[in-house]
Amino acid sequence: MKTKPLFALLAIAFAYAVPTGVLAQETFPENGVQDKRPQLYAFTNATIVQRAGVRIEQGTLLIRQGRIEAIGRQVTIPPGAVVRDLQGKYIYPSLIDLYTSYGLPSPGSIPRRADASPQFLSEKRGAYGWNEAIRAEYQASDHFAVHPGEAEKLRKLGFGAVLSHNKDGIGRGTSVLVTLGQERDNLELLQRAAATHYSFNKGSSGNDYPTSLMGAVALLRQTWYDARWYAAGGREQARDLSLEALVATQELPRIFEAADVLDILRADRVGDEFDVQFVFRGNGDSYQRLDLVKATGGALIVPLNFPEAYDMDDPYDARQVSLRQMKHWELAPFNPGRLEAAGIPFAITAEGAEKDFWKNLRKAIACGLSPEQALRSLTEIPAGLIGMEEQLGTLERGKLANFLITTSALFDEDNVIQENWVSGVPYSVDDPGLAGLIGIYQVEVPGLPALEMIISGPAAKPEVRLIADKEEANASFNKTGGLFTLRAEMDIAGGALRLSGFAPSPGEVPARGLTGQATLAGGETVTWSATRTADAKKSDGRKAEQQTAGQKPGPVLYPFTAYGWQQLPKAEKVLIKNATVWTNERPGVLQRADVLIEQGKIAAVGTDLRTGGARVIDAEGKHLTPGIVDEHSHIACTRGINEAGQAVSAEVRMGDVINSEDINIYRQLAGGVTTSHILHGSANPIGGQSQLIKLRWGQDPEGLKFEGADGFIKFALGENVKQSNWGDNQTTRFPQTRMGVQQVMVDAFQRAKEYGKARGAGGNVRRDLELDALLEILNEKRFITCHSYVQSEIAMLMHVADSMGFRVNTFTHILEGYKLADEMAAHGAAGSTFSDWWAYKMEVKDAIPYNAAMMHQAGVLAGINSDDAEMARRLNQEAAKAVMYGGLSEEEALKLVTLNPARMLHIDDRVGSIAVGKDADLVIWSDHPLSIYAKVEKTFVDGIAYYDADRDAELQQQISRERARLTGKMLGVKQAGGSTQKPVSENKIYYHCEDVYDEFNH
Amino acid sequence: MRMYTMNLTTKRLIRLCVAGILWAGFLTRGGLPLMAQPTIIPAPPQEQPLLIEGATIHVGNGTVIENGSLRMENGKISAVGPAGSVSVSGAMVIKAGGKHVYPGLIACHTILGLAEIEAVRATRDYNETGELNPNVRAIVAYEADSHVPPTVRSNGVLLAQIVPQGGVISGTSSVVALDAWTWEEAAYQTDGGLWINWPGNSVDVTANADQRQKQREQVEERLRALTHFMEQAKAYGELPQPDVKNLRFEAVKGIFTGEKRLFIRAGRAKDILAALNWCRTLEVRPVIYGGHEAHLVADFLRDDQVPVILDDPHALPSRADDDVNLPYKRAALLKDAGVEFCVSTWGYWQLRNLPFMAGTAAAWGLTREEALTAVTLAPARILGIDATTGSLEVGKDATLFISGGDALDMRTNQVEAAFIQGRSIDLDNRQKQLYRKYMGKYGLEAKLP
Repeated sequence: MKTKPLFALLAIAFAYAVPTGVLAQETFPENGVQDKRPQLYAFTNATIVQRAGVRIEQGTLLIRQGRIEAIGRQVTIPPGAVVRDLQGKYIYPSLIDLYTSYGLPSPGSIPRRADASPQFLSEKRGAYGWNEAIRAEYQASDHFAVHPGEAEKLRKLGFGAVLSHNKDGIGRGTSVLVTLGQERDNLELLQRAAATHYSFNKGSSGNDYPTSLMGAVALLRQTWYDARWYAAGGREQARDLSLEALVATQELPRIFEAADVLDILRADRVGDEFDVQFVFRGNGDSYQRLDLVKATGGALIVPLNFPEAYDMDDPYDARQVSLRQMKHWELAPFNPGRLEAAGIPFAITAEGAEKDFWKNLRKAIACGLSPEQALRSLTEIPAGLIGMEEQLGTLERGKLANFLITTSALFDEDNVIQENWVSGVPYSVDDPGLAGLIGIYQVEVPGLPALEMIISGPAAKPEVRLIADKEEANASFNKTGGLFTLRAEMDIAGGALRLSGFAPSPGEVPARGLTGQATLAGGETVTWSATRTADAKKSDGRKAEQQTAGQKPGPVLYPFTAYGWQQLPKAEKVLIKNATVWTNERPGVLQRADVLIEQGKIAAVGTDLRTGGARVIDAEGKHLTPGIVDEHSHIACTRGINEAGQAVSAEVRMGDVINSEDINIYRQLAGGVTTSHILHGSANPIGGQSQLIKLRWGQDPEGLKFEGADGFIKFALGENVKQSNWGDNQTTRFPQTRMGVQQVMVDAFQRAKEYGKARGAGGNVRRDLELDALLEILNEKRFITCHSYVQSEIAMLMHVADSMGFRVNTFTHILEGYKLADEMAAHGAAGSTFSDWWAYKMEVKDAIPYNAAMMHQAGVLAGINSDDAEMARRLNQEAAKAVMYGGLSEEEALKLVTLNPARMLHIDDRVGSIAVGKDADLVIWSDHPLSIYAKVEKTFVDGIAYYDADRDAELQQQISRERARLTGKMLGVKQAGGSTQKPVSENKIYYHCEDVYDEFNH
Repeated sequence: MRMYTMNLTTKRLIRLCVAGILWAGFLTRGGLPLMAQPTIIPAPPQEQPLLIEGATIHVGNGTVIENGSLRMENGKISAVGPAGSVSVSGAMVIKAGGKHVYPGLIACHTILGLAEIEAVRATRDYNETGELNPNVRAIVAYEADSHVPPTVRSNGVLLAQIVPQGGVISGTSSVVALDAWTWEEAAYQTDGGLWINWPGNSVDVTANADQRQKQREQVEERLRALTHFMEQAKAYGELPQPDVKNLRFEAVKGIFTGEKRLFIRAGRAKDILAALNWCRTLEVRPVIYGGHEAHLVADFLRDDQVPVILDDPHALPSRADDDVNLPYKRAALLKDAGVEFCVSTWGYWQLRNLPFMAGTAAAWGLTREEALTAVTLAPARILGIDATTGSLEVGKDATLFISGGDALDMRTNQVEAAFIQGRSIDLDNRQKQLYRKYMGKYGLEAKLP
């Protein structure tokens, strides 16, 4: 055994763990004699991986004063260098993580006022902006301090430098780039402001606004406009250090924390508006919309947060886990590989998976990620994304001496990172000497019978078991320096048996076995030896996960949920024959008629139409109607439908928060709905901009949007905007009375007019997205849908409209519309109501089910809407209630949920009736469409049968098979000892217009 | 949602208000709505025999008599059969050719008369504070002159079981007839049911892991408390003359003697199984209310002869992976599995849609007559009032209505006349009055059946 060099090396290794203090700093006084050192090291005979794909065999790395001085096969080693022979070892650039908060104080918790009353403005002291969620002034460098414990954890994973920022707020300020050594803070700080950071999560801000995702989007957008205005002279009005900081940092890379793949697309759209390209911190689900993620043009920072398998033992609990969750479990490890295959540039972060970083990284490699890409994504790419490629990321002359010494190729299962050098300072990571001990040995102790010794478990803390003929014992294990000791109580030894010996040198497999001195129970000392006979077994759990990891996974679904498509459908030519056709046009209801669909449009309506190569659907005995148009819906949106933080929130847009993955889209197609008007809620008098969508199940959020339709905006009156039912603390937000509501309206439009005038006059007028929307109303470019119940309020708004020069397009809910239908008709307002809801609150005590029929008969354009994900799938039945209550004709009743809402939404040139040239948005019913017995057989949108009852039955089979397959796979993981998590269902939230979603209560 | 006791109705209504924030304020500020309806007058007892002639008579037990006649005397059905087979003598005749006659529909589970304006706390009287309140009685809180019952009965719902909602043991329910001067008069079956919210119900599947763990612990605790309570109540019930009278135990006694039925609100399969098992130990046969996963444990329900009150077919499936039409099909699934069931709907004002809940069940697997049974004879059996009501058979109460068309379909439901124990009830309501009033404003003609 080569004891001498071994001891020398170990002495160095143990010195690594404490700060060396050897890196001098010119301006700092020295206590005692100066200690300037050459800091010159040569690493020879190593396999050096300079960057992914470039490797030098038997190479030399020469570093001096923390920088790489030379690298290559033929490097002359200057005198005075400490030479390390790394025969058989590897050198890699150390890893870089762009998504940490290393060395920063943790963000504060959400300040909750004792009285829980609203907070309109930031209460942060100083000349900062109005909303605390914008913390652009935060500079991580001001707060950074070396944290030895955290640094060590990151170094153990192989990281040498990290970008660190405060994960709090929508605008999060700048991040600091630091190395992970334990020298003075001054020496670890590499780049003071390396990037700026954003998210849609307001974090610990005490401001009420924003309460919703769409409010967060709007706040970011408005803030960026404000920064432009501020830079152009707005600062002369009043100083705002938050905006100032934004302006000062606008050239830095911008990193956006996306909550999911749709958040990436959402943030990218905001970026596009300002010619900004974000780098996105994804959430590991980009594979669900790979093409769209690629189309953003942004690079990604990808976590390895692969979910554990669910414990599916209990079949009732297992039901709680959705197919979506199960499929994500299976596909998440494939995400990095698929990003690579798609050519999307990405870095990898350990964030959120620190514990399983290497396990998951290897799993990702088993699932298609190439080791080269893995290395690039952990070195060169992160360095490049923050413009630090001159200093970090590869091993080249002049760069920082940030590198790893490993025992094998970096991603090999058995590799051990032995040392992590940070700016030329060595830190030991894992003593591979321990790893080298793992195995099964035959032990000879003179005077004792033969023993078997099994050393297994983690290298840092091996478990040792001694086995004699008829006896087994666990041995305690200690290692100090190069010496280890074992102690076991064994009868055959007559008590305590103590074995000591030299550990093998780092990384060395003790081929020749172990030897040392044994102290027997009686006190005598003998020499013992052990011969290695076999490798110890790896833990089964790991094996199990590896076994399943590489298997071909099931398909991605669009949308990523049960009933999604494996491939998006295309429009076809279809001839529907012999149906009872409810045209909603002059011909009325046609018996035994045909309708031809071509290229998404209605190509012909008549009898005995020629097939012309179309797929024929015989609808004998069935009814065909236009698709249902729901004027008031809150499906298909994410993280809140009310921006309740302010009385006027015209700047927020439902279009920013469309959720294409909502199962309710499919469910409503199954009820014949083809178009839905996605409205802001009713928490404030002037709500947000609505979004009209077609239920094109499978398309992404942009693909759902009804192209070319007029913009609408939600207004609201009554109990919700007065916060009447919100509890006793909610009595300070203006307005609290009908009187106040009227003034909010008058004031808003007054401001909009003045704003319009100022904008028209030119100059540096701050762009105000709230007033822009109101100005659009005044200019008849945006139209109002107003939530309303009580007649006095309805009349009030019409008066405000008349006096301000606009028209209320639609009153929605409008439960007392029947009381002033004549005034509504005169104003030209439409009424979109519930069929029969009442009594649930004070303002609906006079709601009557005759309302729709009465408004219609009094000359108001009337419709029936849902405001409810369940009721929306029975809107045909709700329309039928206008026959039952008020005696409307059946044709007129059907129009309440088809043509009339289409007219209200100004889309009756496209949908709402069956006429040549209109969109082929059609429903085939099994029975009279107003009857409770009618079932939807097929629903077409743009000529595509997005719902088909026959296909639905097949899908149910498929879902059940796919669930069974995945359940089996998860049970297999558990069986083989893999780790699992308890079954949990995902949150599901069905919105009604009165629901206030607070990001921080969910 | 933090209130574990909330039932489905309350949950839905709270959502309608504002998530997570409770109503407050109205109580202290006064300003309650006036509820009296001076022009809608409870009907006097039947004096003259009545004969409905020439109608399609849906008996409620699955049979239909085309062109049938039905005779009522002293509040009872004295004859029913093909037209011509029923004596006309001395009766006032209602010509009902082309029309349909049905037994009055029975709502199994409602807070009708216990709530007026749900968002106004002062009008909510169904949720008593405390966990174990078997002794609170819905009947004494029933507001006979509420605005809501007239809007419900004018669609054919004539009897309703009013049910306390809160706590673990919510209280005692009664069945009321929806036309009366007072609650005493409205009472059709007094204190017939004891209601338990199965503790497992309160685990919110959308909560995070920590919250859920806490909820599970609370559930265990509640279940222990409930079990202890019931064991003691059972033992107490066997005392001939207790030294100290315990109002709570007194209220439970009936479920062990068969005088009271035990209703358990449980939706998820696991909860239903747990409840069934618990009842086996207590030697009580319960009725399961809710039961959205009852079809998954149908064999157990059938074997234990436990009926299910299916709540609200017009609901969304509880999981994204479920058949999108599952809630519509549940009735048929239970029928096919041989489980006794009936169909109900949540809420109070919503009861007027009960006929259409049955209609939906008919569209999705039941025959129309089976669907009618599910809201007439089946609930009567489950509530234990089928000896006197629930179908149009001789000797039973003349509680029935006449519709211009198929009453289970909103397209054709036109209730023209209704009788409770032979009393011809006023089908007017405040909503019809407002309808007439404002049609008058526009010079238009009101169209009412």
